[in-house]
Amino acid sequence: MNSIIALSLFGIANLFLGFLNNRKILLPATLAFVLVALGLNLADWNQEYLWFNNMLRTNNLSVNFASVILVATFLVVAVSRGFGDDEEHTHPAEYYAIMLFSVVGAIMMVTFENLIMLFVGLEILSVSMYILTGTDKRNLRSNEAALKYFLMGAFATGILLFGIALIYGATGSFNIHGIEALVLTAAGGSAPALLYIGIVMVIIGLLFKVSAAPFHFWTPDVYEGAPAIFTAFMSTVVKTAGFAALFRLLGGAFTGVYGTWIYILYFLTMLTLIIGNITAVYQQSFKRMLAYSSISHAGYLMLTATAKVAHTQSSILFYSLAYSVATISAFAVLMVVAETKESNAEKTNENFDIFNGLAKNNPLLAFVLTVSMLSLAGIPLTAGFWGKFFIFSDAFQRGIVVPLVVAVLMSAVGIYYYFKAIISAYFKEGDVPAIELKPIYKITLIVTTLLTIVLGIAPDLVKSIF
Amino acid sequence: MQFWYFLTALTLLSALMVVLSKNPIHSVLYLVFTFFCISGHYVLLNAQFLMAVNIIVYAGAIMVLFLFVIMMLDLRRNMPDSKSNLTKLAGAILGGTLLVILVAVMRKTQFPQFSQMGGKFDTQTGMVENLGQVLFRDYLLPFELVSILFFVAMVGAVMLGKREAGERNF
Amino acid sequence: MSLVTLIPLFPLIGFLINGIGFRHVPKSLVGIIGSAAALASFACALSLFIGFSGQPEVTHLFDWITVGKLNISMSFQIDQLSLLMLLIITGVGSLIHIYSVGYMHHDEGFGKFFAFLNLFLFFMLLLVLGSNFVVMFIGWEGVGLCSYLLIGFWNKNSNYGNAARKAFIMNRIGDLGFLLGIFLIINHFGSVEFADVFGKIAEGDYESGDKTLLYITLLLFVGAMGKSAQIPLYTWLPDAMAGPTPVSALIHAATMVTAGIYMIIRANIMYSLSPETLEIVGWVGAATAVLAASIGLFQNDIKKVLAYSTVSQLGYMFMGLGVMAYSSSFFHVMTHAFFKALLFLGAGSVIHAMSDEQDIRFMGGLRKKLPVTFITFLIATIAISGIPPFAGFFSKDEILAHVYEHNKLMWVVALAGSVMTSFYMFRLLFLTFFGEFRGTHEQEHHLHESPITMTLPLMLLAVLSAIGGFFNLPHIFNGHASLAEFMSPLFAHTHSTAHEADASTEIMLMVISVAAALIAAAFAYFLYIIKKSVPAADGQESGLKKVIYNKYYVDELYDKIFVTPITVLSNFFHSVIEFLVIDLIVEGIGKGVKILSGEARLLQNGTTGYYIFAMVISIAVILAWSLRAFLF
Repeated sequence: MNSIIALSLFGIANLFLGFLNNRKILLPATLAFVLVALGLNLADWNQEYLWFNNMLRTNNLSVNFASVILVATFLVVAVSRGFGDDEEHTHPAEYYAIMLFSVVGAIMMVTFENLIMLFVGLEILSVSMYILTGTDKRNLRSNEAALKYFLMGAFATGILLFGIALIYGATGSFNIHGIEALVLTAAGGSAPALLYIGIVMVIIGLLFKVSAAPFHFWTPDVYEGAPAIFTAFMSTVVKTAGFAALFRLLGGAFTGVYGTWIYILYFLTMLTLIIGNITAVYQQSFKRMLAYSSISHAGYLMLTATAKVAHTQSSILFYSLAYSVATISAFAVLMVVAETKESNAEKTNENFDIFNGLAKNNPLLAFVLTVSMLSLAGIPLTAGFWGKFFIFSDAFQRGIVVPLVVAVLMSAVGIYYYFKAIISAYFKEGDVPAIELKPIYKITLIVTTLLTIVLGIAPDLVKSIF
Repeated sequence: MQFWYFLTALTLLSALMVVLSKNPIHSVLYLVFTFFCISGHYVLLNAQFLMAVNIIVYAGAIMVLFLFVIMMLDLRRNMPDSKSNLTKLAGAILGGTLLVILVAVMRKTQFPQFSQMGGKFDTQTGMVENLGQVLFRDYLLPFELVSILFFVAMVGAVMLGKREAGERNF
Repeated sequence: MSLVTLIPLFPLIGFLINGIGFRHVPKSLVGIIGSAAALASFACALSLFIGFSGQPEVTHLFDWITVGKLNISMSFQIDQLSLLMLLIITGVGSLIHIYSVGYMHHDEGFGKFFAFLNLFLFFMLLLVLGSNFVVMFIGWEGVGLCSYLLIGFWNKNSNYGNAARKAFIMNRIGDLGFLLGIFLIINHFGSVEFADVFGKIAEGDYESGDKTLLYITLLLFVGAMGKSAQIPLYTWLPDAMAGPTPVSALIHAATMVTAGIYMIIRANIMYSLSPETLEIVGWVGAATAVLAASIGLFQNDIKKVLAYSTVSQLGYMFMGLGVMAYSSSFFHVMTHAFFKALLFLGAGSVIHAMSDEQDIRFMGGLRKKLPVTFITFLIATIAISGIPPFAGFFSKDEILAHVYEHNKLMWVVALAGSVMTSFYMFRLLFLTFFGEFRGTHEQEHHLHESPITMTLPLMLLAVLSAIGGFFNLPHIFNGHASLAEFMSPLFAHTHSTAHEADASTEIMLMVISVAAALIAAAFAYFLYIIKKSVPAADGQESGLKKVIYNKYYVDELYDKIFVTPITVLSNFFHSVIEFLVIDLIVEGIGKGVKILSGEARLLQNGTTGYYIFAMVISIAVILAWSLRAFLF
């Protein structure tokens, strides 16, 4: 709760810092803001609170989710390099402010106790993302992506809101515990159909946000069009927040009518996994591949959302953390390489071949890229392996066999396209000049890589906390 | 009750006309009419404040803005009817199906009568005072946080709307 | 941070410094860092030993993996067994580190060598400290890796590389058994912690001869076979002599190869409940002991002789385990660590002096040039031959006495092995240090005693080899069997059926074996000193001697039985199966996925209207499905 207030104020403070005409101060200030928010967030550890007439609930679960979100934000801000003298990015203060505001929305989605809060949080997050997607104003693709994202997002929000209204109509409550109680009593069969429509629509609205098939269509276009730094932000923070919200609803309020949605989720999980992984195989663009990869990771996470076993929440958290860290390093490497090529007046795209010959002059970058790809592919001794392992074992314990088999098969397909980047970096001929990395950039890359490896060796270091 | 049916029919009809009319100006005018109809529903629900706000904000401010935009863009010249008949048909069938599903499901639902709910009828429910009580007491936090939403939208609009040096003109 | 964590930490730090700073850390510092790390661990181990309360202590570092109910933690256990192993490993290890400072001084990869040595020490300590099978397995694999790295240390020679590979593969076969054993344990007991697993067995729910225990113990023994070089997985150890001599002394004589024995003693409660396994262990040990000893009879490479001797001595230890004489076996592990390390280091000293000549046919008469080496080598030879009052006598006779009680035939085999041991060891001693020098003139000119860093460890080990036996002086010599006493809590829950031989039998057995050893030594003296015979050059042996000289053609046999069919099979797979299965099916799947992907990609056509259309269809379908109960 305190972190929500703090972040709102920090966002405004950031806008004022923009008046100073000193771009250098923004990056450290924003990093400090995020750290303070993280500290305030952790201060709620081991305390169970309800805030403002049951609007928000903070407990260890929400603290964990919010921490993952804030850590991801911190890493993204750290690799933004203050947007340097980037011509694409002319309003750094506003970008940082919007990012901080969007984290407010994300934390609301994690802590909500009332569906109104969920809706407002989701809207804050989504509107921020629409804006950030369109920040590269000179780039036609960026404009297009922003508009598309907005149109489809508005549609999905409409569905979600309709769902919330129907649930209210059926139960007379916005409070998720109130709803849970009513759903449980109604589960005997006397529940009005309104409730079922409402529940399904709310789930669909959230599935759109986490880009699950068949509501994933916006993802590749938007990820590709948006500036890479905001794509990284989108694919980590939004996804984590979306799954936190989904998890809280499915695992709490909607459990009573399990039968209504569980088979749909099974089916959509498989569909998401298949579409995400299979389509990714063909992609030439690294960014687009990461978009499909993000769809497929949504599929893995949905597998846990359907598995109601005791460890599920820690598995989701661990997976989100592993995935976020690896994704951010991959995007960071992409950004720095693309930028260098651009400054050398080379024609760039964000395809795989941008990494050709990366290892020759930039062993660190190539290594960072490799570790992040291995982690995303789920190769042992990386965090991603354990993430998948926990999720699969949860699903196995729950006895969800068919989706699990699909997930395992598809993770094998995943190896193919993740390794394409590694192959480009190490085995293809190409010329990437030695890139001078700024210290903060280098430190962030090393930290993310080490985190991936350390969590890959000793997953319980973090998992035991969750 | 008869009046309710009449109003509902009118609302649906005008909403349909928003979609169906070829002329965008007509669409907007139908939309204004739809809003008035909805405001009528608010009155029936004893929500006078919402009625007023709905007319002032939507029918008044937002729709006028729409009209301005449409007039400035001169849409008639720029917008050939791009959709083929097949697409239209598919859309109609799909929308119809969704409608049928929802209606079929609703038919099975028994809505409890007000008298069965055991509540007392309070004539003051939709009045400004009560609404204010709810908004600033029970729903204070979302009310405040919505300001962040508007703030973000505002910052974004200004930032994206501002013309940069060297920006492409469409 | 407790002392327990420090013990493996020191070598790890040493490894990191020397490994990362290789070529940057000055040479003088490398040796000091490496040896200091080992010595510091030794000091910690010693202080733990002195302050030991007699109760096992488990230090929990962190939870490593939690899967369902199974929790695998990184934790260390200190008890009698691990303490003794710690002392041996760090003690002998420190001496060998110091020795290496002198021995490896001229080598280019000096820093690398110490880094590997420290890494080995780290994993070995992990192996004995781990409080569960998984940590033990990590150490187990780690020492295998280090052994590989160190055998192939001089990797410019491809033969050495092959030897390293052979060691690695043979060990992997064993490891597979070990790993399967662990899985079985997890499956059956739901835990890998020693305390839990053995605690459950100690409750007494298991009959002797329990099937599950039988499988577990057999699988674990397969692991032990690989690591401790028992038939049929022993051939890697003689080849492993390709590594630098200190490595042979540390890894392939004193520490790593005893890991199998350590494991069985650790799991003694399981083994005691599966007599079938014990019988197998005992006979495999006996066969290995006599086979390896017989091969040792006619080897001419100084290190090969010692290698076969190691295999043979390991066989004795397993024999002891097989008759449930666990503490006697461990006693032999300890004394063997002293005298075998000493022998290897002495051999290293000889090789060092002889400018890397290892063939004993070209040595001789070194006793005057290398007095310290000679005396210490002599002590070790007497010790290993089992002649009182040196260390080997006590430990070996303890094992023999237990074997005699258990099975007379096995005892005869063991005695035969012991006679051969005495013979080949004295043969080695006489050929190397007595008689005339048979090498080149240049070598003779170059002969010198080794520097103090090398002779000091020799002397210390010689002292230990001489008096090591008194750590466990048997009752018949008015001793207290203090080692056995100390270790007895380890076997508290073991339903031991091994009975002590009575005093007169024991003395009788001792006299027999000592007499046999002395006769064998005298025979060697007659053959190599009086008759001054020198082994024939390669290829000139005949009859049985030729078979033995060629190690019973076991390597060739393995080549025929395993390698050739595998090569044929591999060619078959390569030409037929790969074409049919891999190319057609696997690549077919790959291509199919790619084609599918190309189609799936077209779903994404970029039109917002189309996307929303698809979404609405999906919503309609989902609603229709989930509300089907209401629709009709």
